[in-house]
Amino acid sequence: MNFVTRKQMSRRTLLRGAGTAIALPLLDAMFPALSRAATPARRLSVVYVPNGIIMKDWTPAATGQGFEFTRILKPLEPFREDITIVSGLASRASLAVPGGGDHAKATGSFLSGVAPKRTVGADVHAGVTFDQIAAKHVADSTRVPSLQLSCEDPRMVGNCDTGFSCAYTNCLSWKDADTPMPPEVNPRSVFERLFGSLDPSLDPATRARRALYRKSILDLTQENTRQLEANLGASDKRKVDEYLSSIRDVEKQISDAEKDTRKIVAPIDKPSGIPFEFADYLKLMYDLQVIAMQSDLTRVTTLLVGREGSVRTYPEIAVPDPHHPLTHHRNNPDFIEKVSKVNVYHTQLFAYYLGKLKATPDGDGSLLDHSSILYGSALSDGNVHSHVNLPLLVAGNAGGHGGGRHLMAPKETPATNLFLTLMNNVGVNEDKVGDSTGRFELAA
Amino acid sequence: MSQRSLFVLSALVAAPCLAAGPDVLAFVNANCLMCHSAAVRSGDVDLEAFKDKQGFVDGRETWERVLTKLKAGEMPPPGIPRPPAAEFDAVVNWLQSEFARQDLAIQPQAGAVPVRRLNRAEYNNTIRDLLGVDLHPADNFPQDNAAFGFDNNGDALRVSPVLLDKYLDAAEHVVRTAIFGPEQMKPSMVHYASPVRIQTLPKSFDNYDLTGLSALSSFHVEHRFPVEAEYSFHLVLNGHRPNQSEPAHLGFWVDGVLVHEAYVDATDLEGQTHEFRTRITAGDHLLSASYIKQFDGLPPSYKGPNPSTRPPAPLISTRGAFSEKDLETIRKLGTTIKLDRVETRVDNRFEAIDIGGPFDQVTKPAPENLRRIFICKPASKDDMVCARTIIANFATRAFRRPATRAEVDPFLNMVTLARKQGDSFEEGIASALEAVLVAPPFLFRMEKDRPATPGHTSVPVGDYELASRLSYFLWSTMPDAELLRVAAAGQLHVPVVLNAQVRRMLKDPRSNGLVENFGGQWLQLKNVDVVKPDPERFPEFDESLRQSMRKETELFFGNIIREDRSVLDFLNADYTFMNERLARFYGIPNVAGPEFRKVDMSATTRGGGLLAQSSVLTVSSYATRTSPVLRGKWVLENILNAPPPPPPPNVPALDDTKIGASMTIKQQMEAHRGNPVCASCHAKMDPLGFGLENLNAIGEWRDVDGKFPVDSSGALPDGRAFHGPVELKKILRTTPDAFVQSLTEKMLTYALGRGIERSDRPVLTAIERKMESDDYRCSDLILGIVDSVPFQTREGKLVDKGAVRP
Repeated sequence: MNFVTRKQMSRRTLLRGAGTAIALPLLDAMFPALSRAATPARRLSVVYVPNGIIMKDWTPAATGQGFEFTRILKPLEPFREDITIVSGLASRASLAVPGGGDHAKATGSFLSGVAPKRTVGADVHAGVTFDQIAAKHVADSTRVPSLQLSCEDPRMVGNCDTGFSCAYTNCLSWKDADTPMPPEVNPRSVFERLFGSLDPSLDPATRARRALYRKSILDLTQENTRQLEANLGASDKRKVDEYLSSIRDVEKQISDAEKDTRKIVAPIDKPSGIPFEFADYLKLMYDLQVIAMQSDLTRVTTLLVGREGSVRTYPEIAVPDPHHPLTHHRNNPDFIEKVSKVNVYHTQLFAYYLGKLKATPDGDGSLLDHSSILYGSALSDGNVHSHVNLPLLVAGNAGGHGGGRHLMAPKETPATNLFLTLMNNVGVNEDKVGDSTGRFELAA
Repeated sequence: MSQRSLFVLSALVAAPCLAAGPDVLAFVNANCLMCHSAAVRSGDVDLEAFKDKQGFVDGRETWERVLTKLKAGEMPPPGIPRPPAAEFDAVVNWLQSEFARQDLAIQPQAGAVPVRRLNRAEYNNTIRDLLGVDLHPADNFPQDNAAFGFDNNGDALRVSPVLLDKYLDAAEHVVRTAIFGPEQMKPSMVHYASPVRIQTLPKSFDNYDLTGLSALSSFHVEHRFPVEAEYSFHLVLNGHRPNQSEPAHLGFWVDGVLVHEAYVDATDLEGQTHEFRTRITAGDHLLSASYIKQFDGLPPSYKGPNPSTRPPAPLISTRGAFSEKDLETIRKLGTTIKLDRVETRVDNRFEAIDIGGPFDQVTKPAPENLRRIFICKPASKDDMVCARTIIANFATRAFRRPATRAEVDPFLNMVTLARKQGDSFEEGIASALEAVLVAPPFLFRMEKDRPATPGHTSVPVGDYELASRLSYFLWSTMPDAELLRVAAAGQLHVPVVLNAQVRRMLKDPRSNGLVENFGGQWLQLKNVDVVKPDPERFPEFDESLRQSMRKETELFFGNIIREDRSVLDFLNADYTFMNERLARFYGIPNVAGPEFRKVDMSATTRGGGLLAQSSVLTVSSYATRTSPVLRGKWVLENILNAPPPPPPPNVPALDDTKIGASMTIKQQMEAHRGNPVCASCHAKMDPLGFGLENLNAIGEWRDVDGKFPVDSSGALPDGRAFHGPVELKKILRTTPDAFVQSLTEKMLTYALGRGIERSDRPVLTAIERKMESDDYRCSDLILGIVDSVPFQTREGKLVDKGAVRP
């Protein structure tokens, strides 16, 4: 390291870690768990695929154990004992909203069980999503409260779905009823959020100084802003309050990081951007989630494989047609075949994720053992925009319920019943979420 | 119906055909209630609810919809008998004059806009102008929320801890780059794979593109170079050239300028590579690799220009064992020749490019950036007087108005802190400036709360505040020195001064901010960056075409602003701007070179105006085909100011495979017309789209779609028929009212950062009238907005307690 030019290096703060480095043990089963809890923490992960699924190729014929894996589920067969297929749940909140906009209603209500408000303005309103309820419970335990990721570039401007703001189709997680959480699309940014864009060769003294400066900047800004607020009108005050609360959050993150004596070194190189091939892109996002959970930087993640209404094309599997129009197949067998291929492709890539989780040691088992993963869509038949009999499955054994089963819920059971169970699985002892009417049992 | 007729009518107090409010209600009773009653409520409109004159005030929005439908000829719907024209016209006129009467009573208000945070584009531009570094840090910020179609809406723009974190990082990055120079980066490699596009020999060798830039064999990629430095370019080739050809002539271009040439002598180009290095400046650049004069130098049998004069290359035996001579030839030429056949193909292309670097990068800060910040030289490492001067100057520029002593003092503490820690004066200044860049007066366009009295709640903003409103409206960046000088002198509110500043700003290149950000969202041009037309069907769509089509529309819009042309040019014009790439694509001869220039389109089949521009035509299509519905919807929304209601649920899609093969797209969409539920909207949308069917999903002209000739006949909702895009545009330009209304509303929304309220109506009407009387000049629109009450005022704080306020 060149001390003469050290000031030209990127300076990073304590936020990004201090103390001695621990290399992440990706495959070494002898290394102790990195979670600060005595027993391994439980993780929650949601993976969402858009525009529904070809149900005849998804739903296994038999219920109970020993069911045959259908075409779309086939890539998951190696994980039979780790997954539970759940059929028959409904997105009741979506059904309750009259008029069009089924795509916005789908993601807009899915994880919260609250019907979204039809508006294209800034007054978007839905409900807090269950992943965020869980995130609040572990807020003090991890550096990053939760991660929201997406593989669909949200840059499209213009109307998103018939009278509904783009916030509804682009965001899966909502911090509260008025706050959608825009996801991170660029793997580089996700990486920087987890590990910082730090130059690892900065010496501890310089790092400490920089941390001090950053804290001072935050203090100074808070003080200045409070004085400013005294002269502001009500609506301006609200905006500035939002700003102040963000400052407080960042300060808290810094002080948490100071208390955390571990320094996490990233096990992969910083991605330079969004990979060109879709499969590489999605796998990289899965990798980042695994790494984040393994090093206990976060315990709650959601990932939008594509946003509702996605028009992504998949030429790599001979489907050059945009996804959404294809799903309106009108029973044309060629279109159905193409959509089914896309659905298979998505589960193949999901199998990659499960494989990585299963191969990552965590405490006395694997990361998969201590997670609850939800995979599926808030639409079943994309052709008619059906919100009932949703294609969903749960992977992982955080609730100790085991797997290897296909369960059929009674008609009209709200999907939020399952989400309540998943929340309980990861140690959040609520008894209701959104429009839930009770738990949906996964245990035999 | 023009607004001028209002004045005529109101002068005629007792004209025999003048319908009064009750007469209109009687008309509605007789002609509308069969569908629009409380029970039936077609289109969710209940006209039975209105029983008296007050209904026209309370139900203004509904009656506006009624008027729009009547004027567009959409109501009564086809099939229902039309009332006599005189009655119909009287009702339309009465409604218009009633609205005008109501509007006269409306006082324009400032409207409620919470303090506006800089959005991503504004942040990038402001940093560029403040510090002189153009690093685009906001490209990594989370997506801005949009409202009413624009991402500069005060309500929608929020701050989150994630964003604040990024502000801290960005501030550190840009300040350190400005003061200490660009960060030393480790060289890395970025790989771009070329799509596979096989070209065929052209039918005629006359006038083919000698640069190779528009050929399918070219490869274009846009790359962001992080810092000015030397970069390595490793080209991997593919494809073939016939035996006996002259060597292939490679060209490598940066932003349309040839920077490197090389020759590759091979019949089998697969896997052949070529590497070179060159210096590139920081920022986004378009890189292009092409084969120059690729059809010259072919063997004489191909009958191309300048045939090869080489003797036929010694062939090796393509069957059986190799002779000694063969082995020698193979040793000499290696993989550059085909071993199993005589090569006859001419499908040279590129496989990939790997960009490595930066090498030997710039590490020193730019002197002008340092000069801008260090306006005094510190006498010692602890010269706090100079530190204060520097910070006060920077904060004043950053806050876009003079910074007070009380504001500057706390930042000075950063310098003291740095010195105490043993860091240099410059390090201290850097920390202080970073703090300035995360302060609310920088991140938000803060406006003082001013006192107001009841009835006068819209209070003029100060000169500095007006300067910011102006510069962010017209330039999407901070005010410049000239604008601030005028504001400092307290002159900006003076109408003739304000007017002159606006005109100056429109002529300035920074008015491109209005084109990029307003135009980018109004016309959805920003989507051009992300569309992915099917490469099988549209192999000619590459990065170079994508950028060229976007530039065409940006230059077109920019030209309307800078030359103060009529905004009706958007509807129909006899000119556009293109470079050679676009010209070849559109089939326009005699346009050579990568520079853009104005081109006369009057003799062409596609004509000019937005509806002839590929950017618009591509964003209103699907990846695999055109959509008359999407295009019709685009026209209805952006030109006719009559957005269609959302579709009902459960609508099936078209069968792509049939289109062009066994049916025309029109025939396929007959289903729309057959079903009355669908017809009510599609009878309006589809014909507009059909009229544009000669332009395919990437805006290329076609006379045939698959097996069928294109039938581009269509009709406007009011029944006027047309054939093809030129006729459609001519008609649109003759009845421009709806377009002008749409554009005015949208631009006012963008300028104010909030949605349109009822109190804005008189503003809109006044602007539209001015434009109508002055050839629809662009400056009338912009000046009209700038001169309006909502643009120049904000809601004040009431000082008189207990006063009545509506």
